[in-house]
Amino acid sequence: MSRATRVPFPWPLLRSWFLRTLPVWFLIALAIFLMQIAVCGIIHDNQSVKAFLNVLDMFPSVVKIALGGNMLQVGNTPGLIAIGYQHPFILFLLMLFAVGVPTGLLTGEVQKGTMELILSRPVKKLHIYLCAGFLTIAGMFALVFVMFLGTVTAVHIYEFNDPVPLDLFFRLAMNGGLLASAVGAVALLAAAYFKGRNMAVGVTAGFLMINYFISVISQLWPRMAFLNRVTLFNYLSAPKLWRGWPLSDFAVLAAVLLVSAVAGAIVWQRRDLPL
Amino acid sequence: MKPLEITSLTKRYGSTVGVEDVTFAIEPGEIFGYLGPNGSGKTTTIRCAMGLLRPTRGQVHVLGQRVRTGGATEHARIGYLPGDVRFWKWPRGRRTLSLLASLGGQGRAKKRREELAERLDLDLNRRVGDLSKGNRQKVGVLYAFQHEPDVLILDEPTSGLDPLLRQIVLDLIREAAEAGASVLLSSHDLSEVAAICGRAGILREGRLVELAPISQIVQQGRRRLRIWFADSTLAPPMPAEQLPGVKLIQRRPGLIDLAYHGSADAVLKWVAQFPVDRVVTPQTSLEEAFMQYYRLGDDGDRVDCDGVKSEGCRL
Repeated sequence: MSRATRVPFPWPLLRSWFLRTLPVWFLIALAIFLMQIAVCGIIHDNQSVKAFLNVLDMFPSVVKIALGGNMLQVGNTPGLIAIGYQHPFILFLLMLFAVGVPTGLLTGEVQKGTMELILSRPVKKLHIYLCAGFLTIAGMFALVFVMFLGTVTAVHIYEFNDPVPLDLFFRLAMNGGLLASAVGAVALLAAAYFKGRNMAVGVTAGFLMINYFISVISQLWPRMAFLNRVTLFNYLSAPKLWRGWPLSDFAVLAAVLLVSAVAGAIVWQRRDLPL
Repeated sequence: MKPLEITSLTKRYGSTVGVEDVTFAIEPGEIFGYLGPNGSGKTTTIRCAMGLLRPTRGQVHVLGQRVRTGGATEHARIGYLPGDVRFWKWPRGRRTLSLLASLGGQGRAKKRREELAERLDLDLNRRVGDLSKGNRQKVGVLYAFQHEPDVLILDEPTSGLDPLLRQIVLDLIREAAEAGASVLLSSHDLSEVAAICGRAGILREGRLVELAPISQIVQQGRRRLRIWFADSTLAPPMPAEQLPGVKLIQRRPGLIDLAYHGSADAVLKWVAQFPVDRVVTPQTSLEEAFMQYYRLGDDGDRVDCDGVKSEGCRL
């Protein structure tokens, strides 16, 4: 029997998917970058914060919360800059990428019927999964790096009364990147399992909602505080980041990322495609 | 080494049978017709051969290598055209084909692609999403042939093409086979299978009920006998009890049209009682032979139209 022809890694597919993902990544990155500049621009002196809060007071409370007005009420300069990392809009953008990319690449190609074409070329199924996983996780970390760059740029543009510890924001960005990547890996698992993109997106969004709900409940209701450990959002903690690298939190998020990604790879490899 | 070898292939979807115990092999340079109605298991077999589906039992070998699901076994040397081929809508035809070729085994794909596009009169500068169904099918044909594969697996390759282009595609298949490629051709169009295939397999409810040269399949069908009587008013009734296995197709004054299995002796002896003008034996078509595999009883025996069962469906 002759030897099987070696199947190379599908770099052209990775390149093609990268180019397809790039416009969305760029728009999200731009929004995140500008958001950091805007946050720093608003909070770099107390007068601006006060003026902004006065403007916000004219809006209904829903709008005020959405714009981050409540977060501005308290905190020192680093705490206020950190708003740009935890703002619901930023979280929404990060999760949009984390959920949209793997489901768009894997389930999207299956749904369009083009996965059958890709798989009929010398491309291993596992390599396709790795391409989607790499773009999701690398894209995620690139986004949080842009977020950090936004802060660095803003610190050079504006003058602050207090010193701005950039190492803290780097740790915060990395922690956020790991959290978003863990969600991306869960989305990857959903994309590997489900035939329809809507289902994969829905399940991942549901997972996120449950995590967020548990996080809120455990913070507001002391008797439910024990639930804090089961939500992913517990492992992004600014107080711990002040003290240095919270390695145990990083380890938990990395474990979720790894387990979800490996489970997704197994499911993807065993699943019949495309039907 | 056979280019494509399928052994005891079974694929079940839960309790539903996709294919059951299918075995056949294709020789180098052979065009093998794979026939069956919708849902009979043709696409399931093809997807198992491409490693897209995991067989429940059995195995497939392509170019001497056992197919591993998702392992892209020898895909650089396979040209595949899915039944319902779908491409990305935005890229232009050339870009789409170039990307797919760049994934491996592209060889001299670029030159061949341009040659084929010219032959099929296809504008590769247009976006695939803007093309008509027929033109998208042409892109599919280019996709399967552009890297000059050793094995071609084609599911309805001429679907949506006009007769002229259909002929060109059939010529392409013939040329590929003459150059040594082995072809698995799944089709509903029996005339095109009869025209270019040497052998065929017929699937029924997931089982391979026939595997034989086309000429043999055609011969196994009922033979026809059309008789014109010298007396143009004569229309004798057929004695069914004396002529088992004979079916009356048509009877009108001066003409009787019959179909029979086996020997024509009894029929001719009965006809000899009357003044015969001329006798014609129309050629049984593959369509007629094929249809008989779907007029079977539950026990798998072929059922004659007069209710007599005979042994059918051999492998």
